Amino acid sequence: MTLPLHHPDDQFLIGYASGQERAGKSLLVATHLAYCPDCRRRVASYEALCGNWFEELPCNDHDGLDALLDRMDGLLTAARAPAEAKPSQPVAANQSGIDPAGGRLVPEPLRGWLPEAIDTPTDDGSWREISKGVWLSGWERTLSGTTICLLRMASGAPVPAHRHTADELLLVLQGAFSDEYGSYALGDVAQYVADTDHHAQGASEEDCICLFLLDGELIFLDEAGNPA
Amino acid sequence: MPRPSDQDRPSQSLDADWLETLVGAVARDRDRTAFAALFRHFAPKILHYCLKLGADRSTAEELVQDVMLTVWLKAGSFDPAQATVGTWVFTIARNRRIDRLRKEIRPAPDPEDPAMTPQSHATPEESAQLVQSSRHLQDAIGSLAANQSEVLRRSYFLEQTHEEIAEDTDVPLGTVKTRLRLALGHLKRSLGDKA
Repeated sequence: MTLPLHHPDDQFLIGYASGQERAGKSLLVATHLAYCPDCRRRVASYEALCGNWFEELPCNDHDGLDALLDRMDGLLTAARAPAEAKPSQPVAANQSGIDPAGGRLVPEPLRGWLPEAIDTPTDDGSWREISKGVWLSGWERTLSGTTICLLRMASGAPVPAHRHTADELLLVLQGAFSDEYGSYALGDVAQYVADTDHHAQGASEEDCICLFLLDGELIFLDEAGNPA
Repeated sequence: MPRPSDQDRPSQSLDADWLETLVGAVARDRDRTAFAALFRHFAPKILHYCLKLGADRSTAEELVQDVMLTVWLKAGSFDPAQATVGTWVFTIARNRRIDRLRKEIRPAPDPEDPAMTPQSHATPEESAQLVQSSRHLQDAIGSLAANQSEVLRRSYFLEQTHEEIAEDTDVPLGTVKTRLRLALGHLKRSLGDKA
């Protein structure tokens, strides 16, 4: 297995570690973390940095806190100790994230948000074709102002020219795609800042399916470059 | 509830070991004296953190109680190999206040999820790179200029806007933006170093 090569910018990792990043982009970052041990370590380093900042906060404000400690007495008695955390079981190779149909399961936390399978037939009504071989999912969510859906590209199919007034983020969940900056496979993240030109196209035998995040409005352009 | 006297509290340099000992005593023996010592150490910090992030006093006190109750219940799952006690309590406080103040759930990977890529899937070369990359980032964090680290702290930890940072630190807005860009660039370069 190869690990992801394209990671979210550090501003997203430190924002995720500190809690400053909002839910929409945190969903993409957290799902990338499930694919990427390297970024898990980076986030742990940033959490340690925040832990240091937390430890530096003043500890001189005791007004009312002693009373709060006394009030907790009953809570502690009432609260039952949880069962010992089970040590994590090594996952058997034959069930390591393979779904019954033989595809690779999308990891949590994204899996809990998605419809059951992501590679459903493109003509079953759950996909909207925006140009030949390129679809957007009918499944769509808005989280903390970020629009989230799936983008699907058939092999060699280019995503039509489009304009976005805010940042766009892609996370590969199946297959691979490429653009003028590189090629992106499972777990890779592509980031496009507002008003940049980029030309993604499917680059794997199977359809490439990505988690697609957009902060602002997405406007597809016609051949003359006008909003379609 | 028993309270430790101030003399029980060793110097700052021994804090990390002392806090680990206290969490161990809570996990093993349900030791209320140890819990009281943890409370006296962390409650003011949690309170301060929540107030800084916009909680009113009574909500902040509820969050203190909520976070410390979690410390009491989850002490057994604290792993000193993963994080210091301070970092562990910070992550609990962070998750609770996102839940309470923002009404959002913080998405996180599930370590038990079979679809998660375990570190053992890395090739030996990749594993060596992971360790090296992590060390590079530690070095980069440690070598941040003080004023860049301060802008990072205010921006990400206290969630201040650039304008608020400029006003609070009496620095021009452009300088705040430059320092933030330099800080993120410095951290990002540590990623490139592994190649």
